[in-house]
Amino acid sequence: MTTLSSPLRTTTPAQPPSSSGPRRRARRTPRDWLRDGGLSTLIIALPMILVFGVFSWFPIGRALVMSVQETNLVTTPEFVGLDNFVFVLQDPLLGKAVANTLWFALLALVFGYPLPLAAAVLMSEVRRMRGLFSALAYLPVVVPPVVAVLLWKFFYDPSGTGVFNTIAGWVGLGPYPWLQDASSAMPSLVLEATWAAAGGTVIIYLAALVGVRTELYEAAEVDGAGVWRKIWHVTLPQLRGVLFITLILQVIGTSQVFLEPFLFTGGGPNNATLTILMLIYDYAFGSSLGGNYGAATALSLMLAGVLAVLSAIYFRVTRPWSS
Amino acid sequence: MKSAQKRAAFALVGVLSLAGTLTACGSSEDPAAEPTGPVTIEVSIDAGLEQAAIDAFDERIAQFEEANPDIQVETKEFTWSGTTFAAELAGGTLPDVFPIPFTDGRALIERGQIADVSDLVAELPYADQFNPTIAAAGQDADGAMWAVPIAAYNQGLHYNRRLFEEAGLDPDNPPATWDEVRAAAKTIADETGQAGYAHMTQSNTGGWILTTETYALGGRIVEGEGEEATATVDNDATVEALEMLREMRWEDNSMGASFLYDWGTINQDFAAGKIGMYVSGGANYPNLFTQNQMDPEEYGVTVLPLEGDDSGTLGGGTLAAVSSAASAAEQAAAVKWIDFYYISKLTDQEQAVAEAEVAAETDQPVGAPALPIFDRETYEQQQSWIKDLVNVPLENFAPMTDQMFDQPVIPEPAVATQDVYAALDPVVQAVLTDENADIDALLADAQTQVQGLLDRG
Amino acid sequence: MAANNRTTALARRRTEPAVERGIVSSHDRRRPSVRGSLGALQGGLLVTLVLVGLGPILWLAKAAVTPTQDTLREPLGLFPTGVDWANLSTAWSRAEIDHYFVNTLIVAVGAWFFQLLVATTGGYVLSVLRPRYGNVIFGLVLATLFVPSVVLLVPLYLTILDVPIVHVSLLNTFWAVWLPMGASAFNVLLVKRFFDGLPREIFEAARVDGAGPFRLLWSIVLPMSKPILGVVSVFAVIAAWKDYLWPLLVLPDPENQPLSVRLPAIAPYLELDVFLAALAISTVLPIALFLAFQRLFLSGAGLGGAVKG
Repeated sequence: MTTLSSPLRTTTPAQPPSSSGPRRRARRTPRDWLRDGGLSTLIIALPMILVFGVFSWFPIGRALVMSVQETNLVTTPEFVGLDNFVFVLQDPLLGKAVANTLWFALLALVFGYPLPLAAAVLMSEVRRMRGLFSALAYLPVVVPPVVAVLLWKFFYDPSGTGVFNTIAGWVGLGPYPWLQDASSAMPSLVLEATWAAAGGTVIIYLAALVGVRTELYEAAEVDGAGVWRKIWHVTLPQLRGVLFITLILQVIGTSQVFLEPFLFTGGGPNNATLTILMLIYDYAFGSSLGGNYGAATALSLMLAGVLAVLSAIYFRVTRPWSS
Repeated sequence: MKSAQKRAAFALVGVLSLAGTLTACGSSEDPAAEPTGPVTIEVSIDAGLEQAAIDAFDERIAQFEEANPDIQVETKEFTWSGTTFAAELAGGTLPDVFPIPFTDGRALIERGQIADVSDLVAELPYADQFNPTIAAAGQDADGAMWAVPIAAYNQGLHYNRRLFEEAGLDPDNPPATWDEVRAAAKTIADETGQAGYAHMTQSNTGGWILTTETYALGGRIVEGEGEEATATVDNDATVEALEMLREMRWEDNSMGASFLYDWGTINQDFAAGKIGMYVSGGANYPNLFTQNQMDPEEYGVTVLPLEGDDSGTLGGGTLAAVSSAASAAEQAAAVKWIDFYYISKLTDQEQAVAEAEVAAETDQPVGAPALPIFDRETYEQQQSWIKDLVNVPLENFAPMTDQMFDQPVIPEPAVATQDVYAALDPVVQAVLTDENADIDALLADAQTQVQGLLDRG
Repeated sequence: MAANNRTTALARRRTEPAVERGIVSSHDRRRPSVRGSLGALQGGLLVTLVLVGLGPILWLAKAAVTPTQDTLREPLGLFPTGVDWANLSTAWSRAEIDHYFVNTLIVAVGAWFFQLLVATTGGYVLSVLRPRYGNVIFGLVLATLFVPSVVLLVPLYLTILDVPIVHVSLLNTFWAVWLPMGASAFNVLLVKRFFDGLPREIFEAARVDGAGPFRLLWSIVLPMSKPILGVVSVFAVIAAWKDYLWPLLVLPDPENQPLSVRLPAIAPYLELDVFLAALAISTVLPIALFLAFQRLFLSGAGLGGAVKG
């Protein structure tokens, strides 16, 4: 648990211990400022201010402006009120993209949530070679995501001699169309995404399991509890926090999924894997004759709104552990 | 690479000197530069070429620089792609000379997003000799040519001669009706296990090929022009084309197992012998050969079967455009390059032979037939100049070249072409991946979408 | 305190064997039935992990040196017609993997440098120097944590095309990848929290000795901060190595593209065996790094999937 607390305290910036004398002076002249090292402080702060200013704060402000403008880099931007939002909300593809993204998130939870937990619990009981277990579990995370997708794209070859279809053939199944069918494309994407990410989740759980207070197991044993009851009544309750965190993080992560649908299927077949971020990309960069940047930003902001709520829940829930 | 290392070194410079070094990286050209003195232009070269093809290109550059000592030519890898072009255009990262499809010419010209080189083009000796329908793609509303047509294609039915033979079909006598296409596809699939007839579906190519099939069956995707343009996506020919695809896919099972092809990947699989037939630009051969190492002996191409009144072959092509960021001197040099590299080999005997010799020496295809951008006479004359150097199996192109001049060529939809194609991609994908796809409903949806695109202009 | 936790976690791990017990008590572990089933489960897990985690990577390694036709006809056969080592050199030179590999390194090293630069100087200012405007900046930095990267995609792209004030385009320069990656609130936060935990007395003593803010940072604070710098470094390099969409947008010129962007683009032009060899080559370095710095990777991963957000 402790290892997780660091990013979680962020909502309550620690109050600095009370400052020393000069800073409290009510009025300071520029010369005082200089003498106190104000200039060097500013110089040291400059990388942060410049980089955040230009590449974070400025674009965020720009997003707000652009969402109410019609802009395509060619003509002068024009204020259009909420037209961009209306355009996006009326786009028949929006519903599809939202549904697909939710479907991806749900499948990702079904594939990628219980298995890493079970693996982590089992691994925490390993006495020897735990390092080997962790390394093996984490290995796919290290493979560059693009390589993983391109490799799996080959694995998903729909012909009878595809890698997965050959394996399925050994037990008399298949051949399956994998990516080439509207109903199996999304699960195929999620399977790869889970392979690529599950190792990280396992390691998070494993770190959390180290923090489980073991004396409770003894107490449970005194009450005559078996292994399953110990897991159910002692382990899982103590993992509740981290389970919730990974849940939220996974939902936030999957709601921005792009790489897999973009490289595996280009959003097809028949838009079955078109996700929200792909739609944003299409709005902005999909047309060879200029992007609809306003609509792209409007949709981004709407997605951000939903994610902000999730983030807020995340911080709210995690706050108790940091105190 | 050198510049990459230089930039890496910049990383070590503190952030305080950032603003200073940034300007060094920015490429700001002064468009009003003097049109005299040495000038450097950046020209496009296809992505993913074999070394031999790159050598051939370099050799042509050397010849050009020798003839124009004031001009330095640098190359930049560039292949037009619908998904990245807008970003590159907006980002100003295009080379000075770049190819664009006919479909984008008019819109780019109207918005002034490419350089107006019409005065320079008008001085070229052949400026008024272009085939008028082809010339129109690069002209503004007043007929001034901003972008030069450098290649034209009519869609063709490409086929793998080896697979034809393995399936017991006669490769010299390819299908001439769509029923024969379907029958041949089934035979190939049954006999060889490969896809009999494959179809592009991704990155706007699904719409492109569906439009082609529609034209071949006598339909149109869009009727009327300009303000009057009306979507006719749900026409009978399109329904017929999709119905045919549905039968080939689900009844004959002759379309293989891959339904997410775009231009690059279908070429790859065709060159690798996994596809019996597919529809694509008739001048596709050089790409198959230089980018996908296709065996020339296996390659065959014929005209599309045309059925029904008003049917025709969809035709398009490539324009060479000049970047609007180019200075006057660069624009002049760019037009010289277009004249030298793309056109003179079609109109000038000496240049035609020079180009063919370089290509032949580096083992690049010479003499692969294409739809002429001038008249048929100029084309046949050009072919005769280089006939001794031709190294492609011309007899494999005969089914195409014997018939292509008899076919009416119909240009692509004029407004928002790529967006219209994009709207049709999912329709094709649905028919090929969903056995119960409702063709009428799909087309009704697409009809609404395309009309919306046309209304927005 | 991230790094403190990390060190305590490490310390705990080191002392684990002495005090360790898990769900199954030591007493139960001695029972043959428990030992048997636990062993079977763990053995099963190990086999699964090898098959699922290592399997695809080993397959890639095999396919990288297998001729195309063998891979197509018998994807799971082991070298039916022998090994084709030439694939690797063909990929390295013909597919110019060397070139894009170097680009990837440049992207990663630059991103690492700027993330570290911004995080350390920023954390130092916010935690140690604490100017009056510090709280405002800290608030603004924190606020960006709540803005998902997707919101920035388009406006940041347009910013790259025309950087405010200086009005240059960073498109096709590595700056376009490096600088936005520097704006990582998570890193600043991580480092600031670490600095918060350093003993103030040392700073005061150094100040009394006449050390200015730069000296203090360089000679006192940074040397004490190696653990957290290691964690930030790992995050930075991994993030840069993995990034796809952003470099795809801002590095359209193949000359400057990293492997992640280039591999999908050249896929249609490469023969399958060469392509798979190229994939394998791209995987070697990250895996080597992982094996070399396993502990750093795993403790970094345990520290939070928080980077995902």
